[in-house]
Amino acid sequence: MVETDSEGRDKKVTRRQFARGFVLAALAAATGSLLSFLKLLAPSKKGGGYVATVAAGDRLVYAGGNRQGSLLKASEFKAGDAVLVYPEGKSGNEANLVQLIRLEESEFKAPTRKELTDQGFVAYSAICTHLGCIVGWIKDKKDPEASYIECPCHNSIFNPEQGARVMGGPAPIPLAQIGVKVSADGTLVFTSGFSGPIGPQV
Amino acid sequence: MIAKWFDERLDLKKFKEKFLNKAFPAHPTFLFGEIALFSFITLVITGIFLGLFYEPSTGQVSLFGAMVPAAYASVVKIDLLPMGVIIRRIHHWSAMIMIAAIIAHLARVYFTSAYRKPREINWLIGLSLLAVTLGAAFTGYLLPYSQFSVTATSIAYYIAKSVPWAGDWISRLLFNGEFPAHGTVPRFFFLHVMLIPIGLITLIGAHLLVLVKQKHTEPKANSKRKAAQGGRRLIGIPVWPEQSYISVSLFFFLLFVVVLMATYIPLNPIERYGPPSPVTPVMRPDWYFLPIYGFLKLIPGDLSFTLLGSKITPEAIGGVFFPGILALILVAIPFLDRASSPQNYIENPLHRPFMTSSGIAGAMLLFMTTVSGYIDVLHIAPASMAIYVVVVTAAAWVVSYLLLRLYSRAAKKGEHVKS
Repeated sequence: MVETDSEGRDKKVTRRQFARGFVLAALAAATGSLLSFLKLLAPSKKGGGYVATVAAGDRLVYAGGNRQGSLLKASEFKAGDAVLVYPEGKSGNEANLVQLIRLEESEFKAPTRKELTDQGFVAYSAICTHLGCIVGWIKDKKDPEASYIECPCHNSIFNPEQGARVMGGPAPIPLAQIGVKVSADGTLVFTSGFSGPIGPQV
Repeated sequence: MIAKWFDERLDLKKFKEKFLNKAFPAHPTFLFGEIALFSFITLVITGIFLGLFYEPSTGQVSLFGAMVPAAYASVVKIDLLPMGVIIRRIHHWSAMIMIAAIIAHLARVYFTSAYRKPREINWLIGLSLLAVTLGAAFTGYLLPYSQFSVTATSIAYYIAKSVPWAGDWISRLLFNGEFPAHGTVPRFFFLHVMLIPIGLITLIGAHLLVLVKQKHTEPKANSKRKAAQGGRRLIGIPVWPEQSYISVSLFFFLLFVVVLMATYIPLNPIERYGPPSPVTPVMRPDWYFLPIYGFLKLIPGDLSFTLLGSKITPEAIGGVFFPGILALILVAIPFLDRASSPQNYIENPLHRPFMTSSGIAGAMLLFMTTVSGYIDVLHIAPASMAIYVVVVTAAAWVVSYLLLRLYSRAAKKGEHVKS
């Protein structure tokens, strides 16, 4: 028996309905097979991101300038001086970039970890925790105590005397501290890895 | 003779009657769209020149004895070609003019309410054109692979990564991995020289087709003349010859201005930025990204919360939600301010207090967030600047609204007296 609708028409699929369904099915199949390309277009391979490889015992070298790659001497820094440094032999990885600052030893306050400082030398990750620019040292020549770390991109300000606490701007967390000490031959050596997360917190 | 040969085969007379007689309402504010189009043409021509020499690779090569990325080296070499630096600057200037012209065009359409029925479709195509053009500008930032390029792109990478829920995937899709990945430059190059231009050409074509089909809006003053003529046709000058003369003159004059600026005003001096290095200089994006850049500076770092299992960071608020909400408002405008019957006349902005003052407030918001990009030079604390932004934007709305209300009431009274 043939099924019919209320008006007595044949309930079988018409040619047009079949054609429409066929096109939709083909479209769905083609789209589905192409979806796998989306995964291909967004590789998950770790080509970036900040993974620091600095370790205790690495010596400090200049990150830029004329003396790029040469060892730092503690005696060349006065209170209020700062420089960007890399651990020796590990300058290919920007995550290892460190802002080294020399301050008066008496000026350190919590939450600075004093055991990670030596003779006024304190070091922080140089990668801004906002959007990953390299921070800079804003030196106040008249009043060294008023100097601070500032990111040139969106003006996040960090206080080097207080564990790089965020004093203003959009950075969500402080720069991670890293241990340094002056070794017997007057060069500087890292004594730890970073104390916290580095780079943008997204 | 030649025209006749083609006419016999292609029936050009019919084409001329149909399209070359299309009427243009002659009004100077109707030229912004053309300026955008002509800038695009200049961009394509200069882009072809640059593309013949550019090398989309971050592999290290030797340049004057130093090892630098191949992309950077190839752009330095372009600058050293005869006229090379001028052509690169023409390209950059044209991009800025194109964006400015699109925004001016959008403002003209907004303030005269030309987005209303039946022109909602072209409003949306126009907004897509703005978005895709900004995409073209952004992908172009990275290509010289200077310190500026890498810093700007890195910031954008982390903004993309901060998109709630899907940020990780979106950032890897756009940047072909985690920036700085080797795949980013080739992908941006292909987007910049192939996909985005194809998208722009398609959208421009659609924009013009809809325009030809729907015709321009025209000044209200035309309505009486039209009524007297008893016709529905638009009053204006025909595409050929009048409008074509204006357009061609405009194109060459624009080219003259751009070449003049490119010759005397340096832009993006990559030799001064240098190749990527571990020092971020103080730098700002081109003017059209300044509102987002400034807004990012205003969001305090501790302003973050969790929403439906995803962390909403300050970066997402400034870099994703702020431009996203602005874009949504623009998209929604023709569906909020609707006309019941097709509108073909320019509305006088002075007679639309709410919409006009909202437009002025929107422009003021963009201006104040641009100023926020300079708080480091102006020595203003982010919190105070945020207050200024809100207060000035709100004040702009209230003052312009009240003034326009007064004006339109006085104008109505005047009409009443006259009649």
